[in-house]
Amino acid sequence: MKKISIFEVAYKNLLRKKTRSLLTILGIAMAAWVLVSLFGFNKGYETSLNKDIDNLGFQMLVVAKGCPYEAATLMLKGGTGLKYMKEEIASAVAAEPEVEGVTAMLMQVVFDPNKGESGGISAFLGVDPASFPRLKSALPFKSGGWFREPEAAEAVFGYEVAELEQREVGDLYLIPEKEVEVKVVGILERTGTQDDGTIFLPIRTVQRVFAVPGELTAIGIKVKKEADIKAFEDKMYKLPDVQVVSLTQVKTTIMTLVSTARVMVFSIALIAILIAMMGVINTVLMSVMERRQEIGILKSMGAMALDVFKLVWLETIILCVGGGLIGTALALLTARLTDLLVRNLLPYSPSGGLVAIDVKLVLMTLGVVTAIGLASGIYPSWKAARMRPLDTIRSEGES
Amino acid sequence: MRNKNRSKLDRGRTFRPGSAFLLAAAGLILGAAALYAAVGCDLNDPDRDVKRLFPESTGYKTLYVSITKRGGEELLGKIEARLGDTFKGLFETADVPYTMYEIYKGADLVGYIHGVNQKGTYGGLQVFLALDLRGVIRGFYFQKLTSRAAKAFRDPAFGSQFLGLSLEDFYRYDVVTGKEDPAGPVSRIKNSDPAFEQDFRAALRATKKNLVLVDEFLLGNPHLKFFKG
Repeated sequence: MKKISIFEVAYKNLLRKKTRSLLTILGIAMAAWVLVSLFGFNKGYETSLNKDIDNLGFQMLVVAKGCPYEAATLMLKGGTGLKYMKEEIASAVAAEPEVEGVTAMLMQVVFDPNKGESGGISAFLGVDPASFPRLKSALPFKSGGWFREPEAAEAVFGYEVAELEQREVGDLYLIPEKEVEVKVVGILERTGTQDDGTIFLPIRTVQRVFAVPGELTAIGIKVKKEADIKAFEDKMYKLPDVQVVSLTQVKTTIMTLVSTARVMVFSIALIAILIAMMGVINTVLMSVMERRQEIGILKSMGAMALDVFKLVWLETIILCVGGGLIGTALALLTARLTDLLVRNLLPYSPSGGLVAIDVKLVLMTLGVVTAIGLASGIYPSWKAARMRPLDTIRSEGES
Repeated sequence: MRNKNRSKLDRGRTFRPGSAFLLAAAGLILGAAALYAAVGCDLNDPDRDVKRLFPESTGYKTLYVSITKRGGEELLGKIEARLGDTFKGLFETADVPYTMYEIYKGADLVGYIHGVNQKGTYGGLQVFLALDLRGVIRGFYFQKLTSRAAKAFRDPAFGSQFLGLSLEDFYRYDVVTGKEDPAGPVSRIKNSDPAFEQDFRAALRATKKNLVLVDEFLLGNPHLKFFKG
């Protein structure tokens, strides 16, 4: 005679009411789906944001007072009204002991009447060929490389601007309005950042062509790892006529806002889990009540209370683990869709993947769902275990 | 916390940006504000441009096609043969998405608008054509043009030389040598600034490429019979 395991008995019991079991599993699956996607978003967003900030190459940006950030001025004032600071400030900042490196930048814009039907602005970022590539070492090149001389008539194009201007390494480019030719020496890979739309020129070339010698619009600062960034920020705030944009602050602000939204969504997820738990308890309890006579017979044949408890508990766990596996698979399959959806909803999204689901997260979710199963199964299992055989058989006969 | 910040601002010693500023800065610094839009060859302002090129129109439909999606390498080979030149460089590839506009007057299709990117001496050219249902040019203009001779090429007199021409006329024009054999309507198009022959040729190549693509993707190849590959 074939020996049947307790697992098989539990599994077959669930199959007796297929629709009910399936709906319960789906409820759990939905809760697991939400849970995996949310935790995946939590991890993915922070990782991508950190990567974007790391790719910038510096953690702090010093700009001239009155101009929070040069690009903001470009957009608000149509390219006029740039604020400048003197090059000496960069030297002073570089002398600070906390500083690992600084890079001076000068942004300039021109109105190009031949860009579109009614013209448009073209922006140029003058950078130091010695320090900028060192700080922005993560910037990948599609072809070519950085210019070598600070006064060279050369340019590096971001991917999108190169595509728009159909430029390749070795081509010439004409700076509108100034009628100055520069030679393209590098094309960057697409990065998904502002760099894609930027034309980089050597800083001295920009100062000469645009007649702003000795002036800067921004200084990028990389702080030493062991330095107290907060204390250094406070020191920078004291510099006259400049403003400081700390990317640590930017990141903290974004993460605070994202966390607020996340708490709300986690609350919804918690409610979904509680509803799913109630569904499981209801399903298993109904199943137990419908099988009173069977349980009574089992016990009269020698099954102990613990055996019945284990049987019913196992049914609950099968439901929960099944739901957990389906939910996790759904989350993995729809990760890209979730990414697109969240990206459309958020005011700012970093360039990398927003939903990062890894093995650890999958195992954690399955653990949580199993724990829910264990907790949900206690009451129905206990109820089934304490049934008295005579009572159950008698009540069945009476009904 | 708020009072603390305010007192620091009042003292004028330090500036602690608020959340709104930081968010704006984040967008700007981290990439939300690229100064160039995603590259394609779309009309800058389709509603305005369609009405200007087809004053009688009442609406338009936008189609997105690419050689890769419509026929891959085989189709690319055919298009290159009809153009008389291979696709070149980093940005002239089979997967470039082309935006094509079908123009309607009521329910009736009355024409097409299509633009292509073309490499010029100093930068990119965007050549747009407005075409009737037979593929005859009824409008020509540069949406974007980086050239020392931009003013001359943007002159309406230059664009008007293309009106009435079709792919049938351009088949005889060799985009590599810049010659038309035998001389015909394309040879009669005058270069507005002979000092910039390369940009002039770029404009003609862009026009021919534009016509080939429209013939292939929109007209169903009625001009293929004139092609003597």
